[in-house]
Amino acid sequence: MEYNDFSPLHLDAIREVVNIGAGNAATALSEMLGKPVVMGVPDVELVSIYEVSERFGPPEDFVAAVYTHGEGTFPCNLIFIQDEEAAQGMVDAMFISRMNTDGRDFPPEMRDSALSELGNIILSSFLNAVSRMIGSESISISVPGVAHDMLGAILEFVASIFAQSGELALLVNTTLKLDQEGTDIKGNIMMVPDPGALEILLSKLGVL
Amino acid sequence: MEKGQHVGMADTVLVKHPGKLISLGLGSCIGLVLYDETAKVAAMAHIMLPESRKDKDTPKPGKFADTAVPTLIDMVLKAGAKKDRLKAKMAGGSQMFNVPGSKSGFLAVGTRNAEETEKNLKSAGIKLVGSDTGGNKGRSVEFSTDDWILVVKTLGTGKQGI
Repeated sequence: MEYNDFSPLHLDAIREVVNIGAGNAATALSEMLGKPVVMGVPDVELVSIYEVSERFGPPEDFVAAVYTHGEGTFPCNLIFIQDEEAAQGMVDAMFISRMNTDGRDFPPEMRDSALSELGNIILSSFLNAVSRMIGSESISISVPGVAHDMLGAILEFVASIFAQSGELALLVNTTLKLDQEGTDIKGNIMMVPDPGALEILLSKLGVL
Repeated sequence: MEKGQHVGMADTVLVKHPGKLISLGLGSCIGLVLYDETAKVAAMAHIMLPESRKDKDTPKPGKFADTAVPTLIDMVLKAGAKKDRLKAKMAGGSQMFNVPGSKSGFLAVGTRNAEETEKNLKSAGIKLVGSDTGGNKGRSVEFSTDDWILVVKTLGTGKQGI
């Protein structure tokens, strides 16, 4: 199945999956930070793979990303991506909630480890919800990898995954945001299925 | 970065002197330049994947290492370059995420992109005179026909010319 064969029904089903996954992730993040987290409406759209790396901002913008690979019934790549500043803000919030310090004096490795744990919790909660939806027990996720780098370079990785199967990318992403005044700390979850995996998801959902 | 011709994902762009080619935020992709200093032409490809699928046409030959190399050669020769004077420089092909124990071999696509580009240059008989590939950092590159230097920029460690 090529991505241009996807119908509005398929895209709606995927949007619903993302909605439930992100809701679960928002709850987990909120518990972790001891603060309310709000989620945005999921974006699900088909775009040319060649436009992916410039779609969310200038390619040289400095971002932080946490990556994991989900394995099992629905193999997919999950990325939690934020402005570098927002990522540091979220790490602060986690240290404040857990240890009563913003942890700014801690070595970068320790802050990175906290960021990777945040990403891990968000992405595994997301995938758990998806896994429950499709009645699968066998989804496991890899150890998270963290990158602090150019937005374009991270998104190129996403584009390359879709490039293996054709000319279109199915961009699936949702915003999670800390709900407090005077801050704009947010991040995005992107779900990038391995080639062929979306068909499995859609058929498990009964729409294929 | 200064003004120049932007080379987006899977694009191939040719410039004649004076000209500048720019590709921003290369991760696993490769920015490959072929040039002839005497004929004063250069072309850049922004390669995404190592190998094309033989059973499938691609609308953009810059997408794969094995189609980008012959396409660039063709472009510069048509613009007056001579095959035996052609030189190549490239940068990119990093592995953005390091995930221990992951079964997803696709994480290492950058390495395969670099290897395959090098292999295709070699079999076309083109000398690779400068290369900065691998590692885990994203790169921006710019190549000017003023000095034929490929300037590679990374966040955090600055610029270097190759």
